[in-house]
Amino acid sequence: MSRIVVNDLTKVYGDLAVVDPLTLSIASGEFVALLGPSGCGKTTLLRILAGLEPASAGTVLVNDAPPADARAHKRVAMVPQQPGLLPWRTVRANANLLLDVNRGANPVGGAGADDVERLLHEVGLGDFLDTYPHELSGGMQQRVALVRALALGAPFLVMDEPFAALDEITRSEMRDLLNHLVEGKGVTVLFITHSISEAVALSDRVLVSSPRPSRVVADITIDLPRPRPSDVDDLPRFVELCADVRHALHRGMQ
Amino acid sequence: MSRRIVAPIVGVLVFLGLWELFVRVFDVRPFVLRAPSKALSYLWDFRSDYASAAWVTVQHAVVGLAIALVIGLLVGALLAASPFLEHASQPVLTLIQVAPWFAYVSSVVLAFGSGTKPALFMVALVCLPAFTFAATSGMRTVEPASLELLHSVDASHWEVMHRLRLPSAAPVLFTTARFNWGLALAASYYVEGANFSDQGLGALGKKAAAHYEGDALWAAVFAMVILGLGGLLLLSLLERVVLRWHVSQRNARN
Repeated sequence: MSRIVVNDLTKVYGDLAVVDPLTLSIASGEFVALLGPSGCGKTTLLRILAGLEPASAGTVLVNDAPPADARAHKRVAMVPQQPGLLPWRTVRANANLLLDVNRGANPVGGAGADDVERLLHEVGLGDFLDTYPHELSGGMQQRVALVRALALGAPFLVMDEPFAALDEITRSEMRDLLNHLVEGKGVTVLFITHSISEAVALSDRVLVSSPRPSRVVADITIDLPRPRPSDVDDLPRFVELCADVRHALHRGMQ
Repeated sequence: MSRRIVAPIVGVLVFLGLWELFVRVFDVRPFVLRAPSKALSYLWDFRSDYASAAWVTVQHAVVGLAIALVIGLLVGALLAASPFLEHASQPVLTLIQVAPWFAYVSSVVLAFGSGTKPALFMVALVCLPAFTFAATSGMRTVEPASLELLHSVDASHWEVMHRLRLPSAAPVLFTTARFNWGLALAASYYVEGANFSDQGLGALGKKAAAHYEGDALWAAVFAMVILGLGGLLLLSLLERVVLRWHVSQRNARN
């Protein structure tokens, strides 16, 4: 549905180079995790791809168009690190937020009110439609954020360490839920994380980034079965892939 | 629950009782201080006069306050968007706030003539700085994740304003409205006493003071107190409905 092409992208703030010439491409419907140490410019890359920030040099194309175009047509759905729910909106209203804003640009295939409700039921929030965010746990809030993004029906989903603030148990639940929600839907995903096991469990491909300025130092294909079983961690292949990614990360740090 | 209603009533009754006792025991001359029982019984005897005067005063205060709120929101939105404008206007607003407005009331009356206009002008003017400061800071203190999210779907300035900034500013605007309510009533009363008309509690009070009618004067004072408390009560109820999502109201309910 959406192909992402980045060619020789650089980003500098004053004298500070945040992204070194970086080249990558993501195939349509592919789930790619970008893994790297904190502060390596991952978020900057995500913001550039989402059209929230211009590149200093290089070309970026989202489905053959500049990211700003994709943003204007609501073809990029974002899940930020903090859920960013509006405290005065109920769960249902929060899930509808991205649809409500800039209505003129809603894609034809976007979700209707019924679809949003169905999605909320699917993530286990069926009994909380009229609840306010402060009454929800962190994991539940992040589920609303997930539905809010998916409801947009955008072909490109960008996620910025969305599970980083959650506890271990909730995090593995969210991992399974995300796999379940995006598998077979043809959505292209860029998922930023600094958790090796999360990257391996979720993606088709893991890109390992160096410390700032950001470069891709390894590109590892994850050949684990789809749909991913929830006990994917127990597979010997999972352990091997995690080791590969870890070694690549260490090499990149040197 | 019962404590929250009973305690304030007990507090007020004890205060009035001590006051009454003080006046009687020390035999304070009526001209210096009235016993509350006398002022209140005078107020009751002439209740229709005071009620129609209070209605005028309420209109001045409420309409003036509403004008100040609307202008404060418009100016606040501008200042929140432009630090230069904010710095440029801060001294002027502060000047309005600290200048002794009762000292120049007669000039305002001369400029606007007698009747309603000078009262509305004065109320709006004295309430404007606090509303503007509140609107500016309230609109600026928005959750960065929420702002980023709205930008990710290319929300317009207006949408960011009414979907995010305005609701974010609501709690501080309510706090300011309470503070301004007292100011609005004081300004109404003062202008009504100075605008050569016989409308409003201020006019009643002024006439009473001129004729050394202590009971009539203190009845006006008590009528003002009732307006003040009534307004605060209404604001609290409104706040509980509008801000039921906000942390201040959550604590109040528990």
